[in-house]
Amino acid sequence: MAGKSGRTISATPDKSLKKALLSWEGMLLLLFIAINILCKCISPVYTLTNVLREMPKYLTEIFLLFPMAYILLMGEIDISVGSTVCLAATMACLSSNAGVPFIGVLAVGLLTGTVCGMINGFLATRFRELPTMIITLGTQIVFRGIAEIALGDGGSVSLTNADGFRMIAGKVGPVPYMFFIVILCAVLFTVIAEKRVFGRSLYAIGSNSRTAFYSGVKVNQMLFISYTVLGLLAGVSALFLTSATYGANTTTGKGFEMDAIAMAVFGGISTAGGKGKLVGGIISAFTITCLRVGLGQINMNPQVILIILGALLICAVLLPNISQSISDKKKKASRA
Amino acid sequence: MEEIKLSEYVLELKGITKIFPGVKALNNVQFQLKPGEVHALMGENGAGKSTFIKVITGVHKAEEGEMYLFGKKVDFKGPRDAQQAGIAAVYQHPTSYPDLTVTENIFMNHEIKKRGIIQWKQMNEEAQGYLDELDADFKSTAEMGALSVAQQQMVEIAKAVSTRARIIILDEPTAALTANESQKLYKIVDKLKESGVSIIFISHRFEDMYRLASRVTVFRDSQYIGTYDVNGITNADLIKAMVGREINDLFPKPEVKPGEEMLRVENFSRVGYYKNVNFHVRAGEIVGLTGLVGAGRTEVVESVCGITRQSEGKVFLEGKEVAIKNPTDAMKNGIILLPEDRQKTGLILSWGLGRNVTLPIVKKLSNNGFTNDKKERELSRKFLEDVDTKAVTIFDPASSLSGGNQQKVVVAKALAQDNMKVIIMDEPTKGVDVGAKAEIYAIMGELAQKGFAIIMISSEMPEILGMSDRIYVMCNGRVTGELSREEATQETILEFAMEKGGKKKREEAAK
Repeated sequence: MAGKSGRTISATPDKSLKKALLSWEGMLLLLFIAINILCKCISPVYTLTNVLREMPKYLTEIFLLFPMAYILLMGEIDISVGSTVCLAATMACLSSNAGVPFIGVLAVGLLTGTVCGMINGFLATRFRELPTMIITLGTQIVFRGIAEIALGDGGSVSLTNADGFRMIAGKVGPVPYMFFIVILCAVLFTVIAEKRVFGRSLYAIGSNSRTAFYSGVKVNQMLFISYTVLGLLAGVSALFLTSATYGANTTTGKGFEMDAIAMAVFGGISTAGGKGKLVGGIISAFTITCLRVGLGQINMNPQVILIILGALLICAVLLPNISQSISDKKKKASRA
Repeated sequence: MEEIKLSEYVLELKGITKIFPGVKALNNVQFQLKPGEVHALMGENGAGKSTFIKVITGVHKAEEGEMYLFGKKVDFKGPRDAQQAGIAAVYQHPTSYPDLTVTENIFMNHEIKKRGIIQWKQMNEEAQGYLDELDADFKSTAEMGALSVAQQQMVEIAKAVSTRARIIILDEPTAALTANESQKLYKIVDKLKESGVSIIFISHRFEDMYRLASRVTVFRDSQYIGTYDVNGITNADLIKAMVGREINDLFPKPEVKPGEEMLRVENFSRVGYYKNVNFHVRAGEIVGLTGLVGAGRTEVVESVCGITRQSEGKVFLEGKEVAIKNPTDAMKNGIILLPEDRQKTGLILSWGLGRNVTLPIVKKLSNNGFTNDKKERELSRKFLEDVDTKAVTIFDPASSLSGGNQQKVVVAKALAQDNMKVIIMDEPTKGVDVGAKAEIYAIMGELAQKGFAIIMISSEMPEILGMSDRIYVMCNGRVTGELSREEATQETILEFAMEKGGKKKREEAAK
């Protein structure tokens, strides 16, 4: 081939510790430590055992973070997943009360979630010209609507036999089973995003889905799989949620989608797609959880906690923009 | 008006130096514009033309140098100053408001107001007046977004006229236009010239320069090379001035004896796009596919490559029928497409060069689905060096490269697919400067010699005539002619492209 000029191009990656620490994820890690120190200072009962004990309340949302991050990385979104949790929990409770054996109840919960995910995936790939925000806004209403019909007039259902659910709510020492599953998911999803061809394709689609398609990335397949997996994990989330509440009602899972999206965005994953890392999302999820636990322990009003989280999120989104505009200004000043 | 008499030039720049952090974008350049002249500004991508224009229009402020407008020294603080002084720029991709009407676009920021109320009727009438002057075929009340690129450009020019600009800068105006539309633009430029407007014209196309300009100024590597009379300079001299070395043979077409047939397309049809298209290409052969923009060329090859599906027709690879349902199928069979739009479908601009090159082969290089980053880095570096990409590391974002170098990355991306048999290049030199063009042609020649079958889609006549062994001409979704290298001339191709030739042929057949 050509190469006449004999020009060489470097292929040595830059792996410095300073760069890693200055990254968004590095900053988050520092914030995570800072939040923990803060909580320890304000709350005398903020111990590892206590945190682990109180965590399950919040862990159910973290399941949704992983596949949601995938969908956001592709530049799409799913705001129906809270409704999916509600429908899956409702179906699981109703089947349990109808006398279905526990293994069947688990299957019903997981299957309901998966089917909801597949419906989203089908609609998102079949109607590529429609924004997924609109598609999932539609399914959000539909899924919750079906759940409300199933729940009937009372608008809620309580488990008549919670033995099975009590079992999955079990613990190893102070650590709930759920925690291990969340960690397992975290590792699995991170490795896939960082190390596998699937992950590379996610970023390709989010950065430029047309080029990805022209380059042989199966865009529709990737979307369908991710939505389906999000549905499946909504099922998992619903089962663990039921194991804590022994029932379901019309508000079950409400706001879960926004919490999952907030964790991801706070973790540096751009809703425009192609940017951010799962590690960031995971650190931010645990930072938010620790903050909630700590502030909860000093009996802070949950609404106030929400306001604090919201303000934090806005700062997180603004910070990169502000630093960008400052560096732009500096550049301009040096040019002029 | 007195100043004009005092000075020979309407615009004169002396000793302009512009420094961006780390680079001298302009180094002591000069430029003179005579009243009522069309002055071409040429040079490779990155030579400093755009920066220079931005200095004139007040977007950038030069560190050193002086600028005289109508003989008077001026010092623009910002683009507004330049506008008020009568300088207007029309860019390659019109920067308009697509949802507003033509009138609103023309009068943006200088609306006609009476006591703060916008005078719509008067504005529409005046806008229509400007459009009529330019022989526009659309109304001033039309929505901007519904117009073609050529029409939008016309609006931009009308806008420049409406601000009573005395100097209009046209930045690569013909790059996105068809041959017909370019002709129309030429006439508009002639009209502007007659009305006494001076014009600076940036273009990579020599045709534009010869047709329009009386003088041409060349920049290279941020420096002023010279100003020449268009009548007194040869193509070769101009290329030498632009590139800094002699390009003896712009089209190094090797003599290759075509081998076996590699790809054959039979009875290809897609409703609304193309109909009953047949063509084939042999090993070592470069087949040109030409016609006017919109003739259906891109649409046909996109179906061959599985981007879209044909409604009828078959593809044969080395004599065997292959079913291609998506881009992956095409790649598996060794049919590789270099898409027309590098930025939208060829590259991921925010990604590093290396990852761009290996995107189609990540899976092939992987170990059971785990990406092999080391192998990817080595491979991508090798192919990027092979095509002589101007880059420092494989991690440089693709957006940081010039058009020509981006195209080289696209070529490297194709070459990295080791099962390649047929390579389809859609407008491979669009927006690429002459130096990089020559390099891309050289790569094409080498690929042909290695026995690859090459299909080249192009609207550029010299490139089609210079590089093709055989030429198919398309018009309105049909292949209207097939010409050998010997038969092909600009005239014969144009005849088929305008379907006059096609009609003649059918008439003969009817007899």
